[in-house]
Amino acid sequence: MPEIIVKYEDKVIERIVTEKKRLSIGRTNDNDIVLENRGVSRKHAVIEFNDKAAVVIDNESLNGTFVNNRKVTEEILRDEDIITIGKYSLIYHTQAAPGQGGTEMDGTMVLNTKKHRQLVQNDRMEREIVAKYDGSVLLGEENADFSEFKIDRDIITFGKAKFVNVVCRGFWLSGIQAKLVKEEGGYAIHNMGKKGKTLVNGEVVDYRLVRNGDLITVGKSTFKMVERKD
Amino acid sequence: MRYAVISDIHANLEALTAVLKDIEKQSVDQVVCLGDVIGYGVDPIPCVDLVEKHCSIKLKGNHEAAALGEVSTDHYNPAARHSAEWTRAHLNDSARNIISAYVMEHEEPGVYFVHASPLEPTTWRYVLNVDEAGAGIACMPQRIGFNGHTHLPMIFSSYKKNPIRQTIGHSFCPDPETRYLVNVGAVGQPRDNDPRASYAIFDTVEEEITFKRIEYDIKTTQDKMIQAELPELLIARLSAGR
Repeated sequence: MPEIIVKYEDKVIERIVTEKKRLSIGRTNDNDIVLENRGVSRKHAVIEFNDKAAVVIDNESLNGTFVNNRKVTEEILRDEDIITIGKYSLIYHTQAAPGQGGTEMDGTMVLNTKKHRQLVQNDRMEREIVAKYDGSVLLGEENADFSEFKIDRDIITFGKAKFVNVVCRGFWLSGIQAKLVKEEGGYAIHNMGKKGKTLVNGEVVDYRLVRNGDLITVGKSTFKMVERKD
Repeated sequence: MRYAVISDIHANLEALTAVLKDIEKQSVDQVVCLGDVIGYGVDPIPCVDLVEKHCSIKLKGNHEAAALGEVSTDHYNPAARHSAEWTRAHLNDSARNIISAYVMEHEEPGVYFVHASPLEPTTWRYVLNVDEAGAGIACMPQRIGFNGHTHLPMIFSSYKKNPIRQTIGHSFCPDPETRYLVNVGAVGQPRDNDPRASYAIFDTVEEEITFKRIEYDIKTTQDKMIQAELPELLIARLSAGR
């Protein structure tokens, strides 16, 4: 899937991965890529994708659309091309970096009181667990031998072997498949095994800093990190 | 109206002084402080006094609540707990009186201020993702809200039934039909890999929100923390900005 990295004055502010065939760009919030600044027209430009190429088309905008610093009305995009609109740069990648999802643009979010209640309830439950154990805790979500596991040391091992701290299920798992290691600013998961996989929030990782609420999957077993907050 | 919005000073006098100096040049009408003036750093009293002098609207953060004994620090990590205890021991009655008057929420025409989340401000929720932001935005009594608490400059926007959009803090002109929750980042302990102090300006006439980053004398702050024997983690993170 193609990817657009949006920068404002050289700072990355958003990353968009999409399957859409047409992305509208403009100042108003009904666009796919919203650039909320003066100097950007309401409907400034579009990027159209077909099987072979992507094309950026300026929509007779007031201040123009530029590709690699050249003003364009219509231009075929190549990998790494930079579209400039006002103070924004949009970097086009033909393929998104692997392992990173693109749900921001295409996902849907419906708010309702049930969701509110659930958020509040989960939060309260997590606070109670952290208080009970006086520290961060792993919650067993799927195929786990425990419901709550206190993270009471600097290294927690995961795998199929009997001697690991957290026994996991999965045919391809190694004896020690992963380890959760205390680092400055929190805990990080390291994948150790060769055939089995370690995932954080569904994404395969070799190394990842784990945050409160993250789901760690080792083989077929999944655990939720509940961090003590400061 | 032109507001300067600051948050999460965390007793970092050098950062606060540098930010206030920059604000002086910005011709603002009001300075709003979103809380956590204290905690982590060595200068709680001078920071409380400076905020009292310069800010017309003052919100309460969890570190003020902890220092006043309103919330338990049992679930804090060791460094945060040590610093909370240190802060509590180093506050005087005057500073305690001042921070006890800080408010949990504040509304002005068209704008709302809170330290943590508009959803249950007293439970100090962290707004770090679109779900949490969506729940918060739905609870805001005004179209534009400002918060702090996470130390990460961030903009969440909600337009009609579209998915909540999340972008890193950057200057922008709010859309009149969109609701926003804007995190101004931290003055005294940024955590977005940029060690410079962060704050924002909201101009309701120009309809523009501007994010500012200000350099300050980090080394002096760190030297004072070393002298006070505060946890190494809290000292190191200032120069790393995370």
